[in-house]
Amino acid sequence: MSIIEIKNLTKSYGNARGIVDVNLNVEQGEIFGFIGPNGAGKSTAIRTLLGLIYPTSGSAAIFGKSCIEHPEVRKELGYLPSEVFYYDGMRVMDLLKYSDSFYKKDCTNRIKELAEIMDLDLKKKIDDLSFGNKKKVGIVQGLLHEPKLIILDEPTSGLDPLMQQKFFELIALENKKGATVFFSSHILGEVQKMCSRVAFIKEGKIIKLEKMSTLQENSYKRIRIEAKSGITKETFNLGGVSDFEIKGDSANFIFKGNINSILKKIAEIDLRNISIEEPDLEEIFMHYYAKEG
Amino acid sequence: MTVFLRELKANRKALIIWSVCMILGVMGGMSKYTAYSSGGASSEVINQMPSTMKALLGFGSFDVTQMSGFFAFLFLYLELATAVYAALLGAGIIAKEERDKTTEFLMVKPMSRSSIITSKFLAAVVNTIILDIVTLVSSIGMVAAYNKGKDISGEVALFILSMFIVQLIFLSLGALLAAFMKNSKASGSLAAGLVLIAYFVSMITSLTDKLNFLNILSPFKYFSYSDIVNGYGLSFIIVILSILLVAAFSASTYFFYRRRDLKV
Repeated sequence: MSIIEIKNLTKSYGNARGIVDVNLNVEQGEIFGFIGPNGAGKSTAIRTLLGLIYPTSGSAAIFGKSCIEHPEVRKELGYLPSEVFYYDGMRVMDLLKYSDSFYKKDCTNRIKELAEIMDLDLKKKIDDLSFGNKKKVGIVQGLLHEPKLIILDEPTSGLDPLMQQKFFELIALENKKGATVFFSSHILGEVQKMCSRVAFIKEGKIIKLEKMSTLQENSYKRIRIEAKSGITKETFNLGGVSDFEIKGDSANFIFKGNINSILKKIAEIDLRNISIEEPDLEEIFMHYYAKEG
Repeated sequence: MTVFLRELKANRKALIIWSVCMILGVMGGMSKYTAYSSGGASSEVINQMPSTMKALLGFGSFDVTQMSGFFAFLFLYLELATAVYAALLGAGIIAKEERDKTTEFLMVKPMSRSSIITSKFLAAVVNTIILDIVTLVSSIGMVAAYNKGKDISGEVALFILSMFIVQLIFLSLGALLAAFMKNSKASGSLAAGLVLIAYFVSMITSLTDKLNFLNILSPFKYFSYSDIVNGYGLSFIIVILSILLVAAFSASTYFFYRRRDLKV
């Protein structure tokens, strides 16, 4: 059984687009990345999955059950929304206790432990907290009942780099303990660090679903060459080359495809220098969005 | 249970303010009784008033120079105020999670929307009962302080009981509006507006018998207050019909809220 199962899910708001025919499976123990620019439909997909909004067609389930028909499946769910809002006049501890009261187990020690890690003052009023500190409340709130499925919507916005680091360590630890993690982001670096698989969403549609390893390993190379004599664009006029830039005697591009074919081409040139690197996800992402989307 | 307690706590401040207002309203209203009952010129003025004028002021057929008649007259204003409270409360309990953007907190808990609404309804009914007890106690106290004739505590209790039923109608109507309207934030103003419209309808139908069919639109006219004044009590059938109306509004609230796309 998949922990998250989304089948042919479509959600439209009147005439406005939400998401179109999304298919996804997230397996036990995975850290799954959900990547796309703002407004691509990430939050819509998550909210439909959690039963906050109704699908126009298709289905979404966690632990094999729809959250709308079986709200009790959410007892093993921890959710961090992209923007956290809480009740007026509540102190951090009151809010966390209120959250705790829905799960039928006492998590006071766990709350203290998490607050310690995230450096969060439990006695403060939530209204007085900065955006980043509210986010920390959201993180503790999402993790305090040790859920088996953690869904994070843009988790790091508002956190400083040090806190981001701590946050990712915390998530990695939960994952090690057996939690499945689904997390959406528009920042590729953070997904790259953690995820085992990643889905790209653009304008409401999943345009690519790939293992992180396949994405990074073979298919893409960032190549920089410097030649003794001039390079022309025509030399590299073959399939798989993109983002081609030429500056005097040096060229810079991303290559996708059989590495031998490009090396043969390069071998024809009298080189002064060459570097071949793994492109970061950002570059792959841009490449995809520019071309296939 | 946990939502119920949270809701009581969240509504506490408003309840205290309304309770104080009701006490002041009862005190202020009853202090006028001496002027109406003292006989002489002012009683003469009231007796000379044309019946339309009396109806608009809310006297209608009551003899406001008697305590029971005067209380019936004052009661209309108490009922109007508490009906506004109930309508705002009903709309508020449903609309507040979206208004305060706390849906993404509450609605991902392992609880169905129906059970969340049930807790909220219970908390709102408790609030309403508290406000009614405050109104009842201050009314009985103030009536006793000014009354020189026979004791009317029994009638006052019946008045407040009828008020509670009218409040339940507006409470469930407010909740229904909030569950049904796309922009649930506006439901409170609309519900309060409907209370005022119902009140004006009851004023207009007091002017003439020809428009009595409009009374169905105004819960303020469901119970006959002259029956209470004259010692006939509440009509059992009207009580049952009112409760059925409350049940219908509440059931629709569940129906629409369960199907709602929650805003975040």
